Amino acid sequence: MLEAVNIQKSFSSEGADVPVLKGVSIRLEEADYVAIVGRSGSGKTTLLNVLSTLVKPDSGALNYRGSDLTSAAEKQLNTIRKSDFSVIFQFHHLLPYLSVLENTLLPFMGSLAPVSRQLEQRALKCLDRVGLADKARRLPGNLSGGEQQRVAIARALVKSSKILFADEPTGSLDKKTGEQIMQLLAELHGDGLAIVMVTHEPAYADLAQRTIELEDGVIAH
Amino acid sequence: MNIVTIPLKNMRRKPTKTLLLLLVFLLGVVSIVALYQVSLVVGHSLEKKLTAFGANIVVKPSTETLSVSYGGFHMGDMLLDVKELQEAETTTAIRSIELNDRISVVAPKLVNMFKIDEVAIAVVGVRWEEELGIKSYWATDGAFPQQPEQILLGALAARKLGLGTGDTLTLQGHHFNISGVLFETGSDDDSVILMDLSKLQQLAGQPEAVSFFEVAALCAGCPIEDIVSQIQTNLPKTSVIALQNVVNQRMSSVRFVQKLALSISLVILVTASAMVGISMLSAVNERKKDIGILRSLGYGQSRIFLIFCLEAGIIGLLAGSIGYLAGYAISLKALEYLSLTDVARPVFSIAQLVVCTLIFPLITILSALYPAWKGSSIEPSQALVSL
Ligand SMILES: Nc1ncnc2c1ncn2[C@@H]1O[C@H](COP(=O)(O)OP(=O)(O)OP(=O)(O)O)[C@@H](O)[C@H]1O
Ligand SMILES: [Mg+2]
Repeated sequence: MLEAVNIQKSFSSEGADVPVLKGVSIRLEEADYVAIVGRSGSGKTTLLNVLSTLVKPDSGALNYRGSDLTSAAEKQLNTIRKSDFSVIFQFHHLLPYLSVLENTLLPFMGSLAPVSRQLEQRALKCLDRVGLADKARRLPGNLSGGEQQRVAIARALVKSSKILFADEPTGSLDKKTGEQIMQLLAELHGDGLAIVMVTHEPAYADLAQRTIELEDGVIAH
Repeated sequence: MNIVTIPLKNMRRKPTKTLLLLLVFLLGVVSIVALYQVSLVVGHSLEKKLTAFGANIVVKPSTETLSVSYGGFHMGDMLLDVKELQEAETTTAIRSIELNDRISVVAPKLVNMFKIDEVAIAVVGVRWEEELGIKSYWATDGAFPQQPEQILLGALAARKLGLGTGDTLTLQGHHFNISGVLFETGSDDDSVILMDLSKLQQLAGQPEAVSFFEVAALCAGCPIEDIVSQIQTNLPKTSVIALQNVVNQRMSSVRFVQKLALSISLVILVTASAMVGISMLSAVNERKKDIGILRSLGYGQSRIFLIFCLEAGIIGLLAGSIGYLAGYAISLKALEYLSLTDVARPVFSIAQLVVCTLIFPLITILSALYPAWKGSSIEPSQALVSL
């Protein structure tokens, strides 16, 4: 479904180009579940961002359902970001001034046309699924880290995304809450959602179908 | 829930910042509206006061004038067939033009020559009330005539005749009391005798006759040409002449007031707009995170741009509508304070309110264009750094 071929990416720091990804290839099937592991600074986040189109690679190809996203028009990328791909960051995935429900519906609020009743009902259902039905009207500020994480997951559900990209989704959570999130991801994967997850926890990596280890910008195995 | 929800809620989250920004721009709008209204009324009253210093239109019978010059000697204008104007009829015609609210004073005059002790002298019949309306600079050592038998002497005429205030002058067997002598004006008034128009018409045996009219028109709102042409239409057989230098002088004073108000308004507007722009610009950085989230959800550059513009537009809309109402109220108070409300009242117009609620959002959006562009050109990858 999504295939990255020979991705290279370097960042310039203090005038020098520092290579971060040195030719990474990865293939993602429908309903896949891939864990990306590796030491801090090995390029995991960078790879995830390249896969989710948020960072442009210096070279290499990124094919999604027959089109190359590295050369795609901004418009096409926006469409994919709006519907097919969902990203869960480690922190901050919610706009603090919008309610939980509004944050869940954010992908559909991009125009003057109001969000439909059906979508709103659906968002409430998705919030129910992640256990937040009673907190739909709250602001993110008074939610716990785990709850915020779950709002972002509910958002991915409303979009009925094809692929969920998660960067250390349990990184800022305690063990118990982290396990709840992993449980939720496993359920969604069971429903057919493809997941790419960066994690430091070997136990969580084991929940995935495959594990890719990054080492110094290349895939170790 | 639509794209407007995003800027609206963002503004609501920071009420103090939003209110402060709104207040700054509101102050700008209020002072512009108030200044505009006050300057209109002040300009109007200024013009009204200026009409006291002379007429700006002359209406006289159209004459066949032949300028005769022979052998280098200028022999003056030979007037053939001088017609007089009819007082009542002509006054009505002038007063009934479409722009009649612009006609301030209509002063009729009859000029006749008399010989007093072998001195040829012009006697001018006037309507005192009208005349004093356009000659407020007149001053006399005595008083202005109150009765038909009283007359006023120009300074030169008094000297030539050897007469002064309180003396009696006999004209064609009628005795006139000199109620006063004009202080020198430097104009034609210095060498004439001024008397009640009806009395002169009676002396001359020409009831209703008028030689010419002096008209003081207010021309702040419309060009003097319009007034002239409307009078001309009503009185096709006369010649109506605008005294352009008087008009220009007067208008330049009125326009100065308006120009002053306009330039102060511009300064206020630019300052308020700059405040909006700077405040938005400083918010771009602090909103990098938000932009990153929105971009990752498929919001294109144009959407981000729109969100910034909407935010600015909302400020402008609120400031424009509230500001017009407040500005109007303040101008009323200010004019009351300046005791100018009797001259003219500022006009409350729905059209102006609508214009304000359209123009000011446009201005705030314009001043937010750079911040909006800056915010929308943040790449998702840049925004991610702050996540
Ligand atoms: N936008 C950027 N500009 C400059 N350097 C960057 C940028 N993003 C990442 N880097 C650098 O690239 C390298 C890889 O970063 P990356 O975030 O991908 O690592 P990571 O594997 O996710 O680490 P961690 O486990 O700590 O999150 C790091 O050395 C980082 O400093
Ligand atoms: Mg990382």
